[in-house]
Amino acid sequence: MNTPHSALPLSVDHVFKDYGTVQALRGVSFDVQRGEVFGLLGPNGAGKTSLISCLVSLENATAGNLKVFGHDVALNPRQAKMNTGWVPQEIINHGFFNILEILTFHAGYYGEKNPKDRVKFLLDRLDLWEHRGKKVKQLSGGMKRRLMIAKALVHKPGLLLLDEPTAGVDVELRTRLWTFVEELKAEGISILLTTHYLEEAERLCDRVAIIHKGKLRAIGKTHGLIEEWSRKRTVLRLTYPIKDLTHPDLVSGAGDEWTFLTKMSKPLGELLTDLKLPNDALKDVQVQEGSLEDVFVKLTQEEEAKK
Amino acid sequence: MRELTWTPFLALFRREISRFLKVIVQTVITPFVNATLYLMIFGVSLGEQIKLENGLTYMAFLIPGLVMMACLNNSFQNTSSSIISSKFSGDLEDLKVAPISAAQIIWALNLAALVRGLMVGSINFLIGELCYRYMYGEWLAISHPLALIFFLFVGSLAFANLGIMVAFWANTFDQLSAVTGFVLQPLLYLGGVFFSVHSLPAFWQTISLWNPLLYIINGVRFGILGQSDVNPSIALGVTLASFVLLQILAVRSLKRGSFQRW
Repeated sequence: MNTPHSALPLSVDHVFKDYGTVQALRGVSFDVQRGEVFGLLGPNGAGKTSLISCLVSLENATAGNLKVFGHDVALNPRQAKMNTGWVPQEIINHGFFNILEILTFHAGYYGEKNPKDRVKFLLDRLDLWEHRGKKVKQLSGGMKRRLMIAKALVHKPGLLLLDEPTAGVDVELRTRLWTFVEELKAEGISILLTTHYLEEAERLCDRVAIIHKGKLRAIGKTHGLIEEWSRKRTVLRLTYPIKDLTHPDLVSGAGDEWTFLTKMSKPLGELLTDLKLPNDALKDVQVQEGSLEDVFVKLTQEEEAKK
Repeated sequence: MRELTWTPFLALFRREISRFLKVIVQTVITPFVNATLYLMIFGVSLGEQIKLENGLTYMAFLIPGLVMMACLNNSFQNTSSSIISSKFSGDLEDLKVAPISAAQIIWALNLAALVRGLMVGSINFLIGELCYRYMYGEWLAISHPLALIFFLFVGSLAFANLGIMVAFWANTFDQLSAVTGFVLQPLLYLGGVFFSVHSLPAFWQTISLWNPLLYIINGVRFGILGQSDVNPSIALGVTLASFVLLQILAVRSLKRGSFQRW
């Protein structure tokens, strides 16, 4: 596999994609670093799947450059494809063939002459070996998802594209899949992930980008974005009502319960010092940290509100 | 160990062979039954009452036509149904996403279609030979084996290409059925499988000469019987030209067509 050591696993540079008059992608740019889990988040129709379709050559970008380990997807598709594994959003049926046949043929498409060991390794690891003689329609939803992942990994790609891999799967399987993603990351595979499960993205992703209507709204380290775009919600419960509490971060309250939205970096002690409450006034404090969901909602709804 | 010239091609070729063997009742046994019925009804039963101008028995005339019809039909159906069913199940996308070239895809699909076409064609020929021996006490000899191989191989590959082209064009099962029912079958049946073009009125003879299948079918007839309704050299040229044209169109449809699922 020809992968320049210095090249980024994925480089997306001012990519546009038009479908007739509809602009699905409008100048999207970002990179994925080696061994990184990068989350591409956005509401339905934001352009996530369009971008992935361009990356795997199912669609051609209208403008811009996409490179996988330095190989231009449009100019040098073979090398780009050799380095990319793709788990599509929808399950592929494969009609006539059983799991073993599916993976063996698929490995062959990538030039693997003798994929037996690799196929066995993946099926063992994904708990599918005992089901190797079954067709896709005979598998449970979870097994189908795991088969899609095995297919994407059969040629040992350095970049894995996971397009909503947990859509419609139960909690247990989601947990197992995410554990597997963490293992792949530990092995040095770079991962581009799209998902609607923001809590999991927050836990798994080193960096995230939020895309809305074909444009990137924010990009950065997951916790950095939460720091920057979300607020900490602090509720103070008092032992007796206070009438005229004032503070720039105060959002609601009256009497013995007051709510504040402060910067994530602002310590609770600083807020309490600002308020100069008497020592016997404070009964209870409830603090809710900001989340990636807050960032997502803020960034995707902000534009709607501007209209 | 990775090798990107032959391995992807062979993987797809094996997949295609495996695909039609998994539904062998539909792909091989049914055509075998059809061929037997055609030979029993037209060759053995009605054939005795049909006299041909060139002194051939109708059974001898019919066998090459049925063999070629089987090859052409099955080659077309193999590529077209493989692509259409892959569009439906979604695994056609795998071929677009993998580092497999258009030429590798075309030749893997075409050669697997050729194998199926030749399998069914050979079965038809074997049944025809058995019927001929039953009726006339001797085997039907092959007059020009090289010509027979040329017309069988090139004709089948041309139709495999046609299958690829139509399958990439079609957006529904209905569209594929329409091409098969309204274009392919009429051309096959009017291409001289069951009758000599010389038995037609002059006007229809002229019309028939525009049907390329007439040349491909009569090429096979020349290969087996040494006799043909058309000049074998012209048949060779038309067959080769059909293959080249359909190959170009198949590559074009593969490069421009959508691999995305329905």
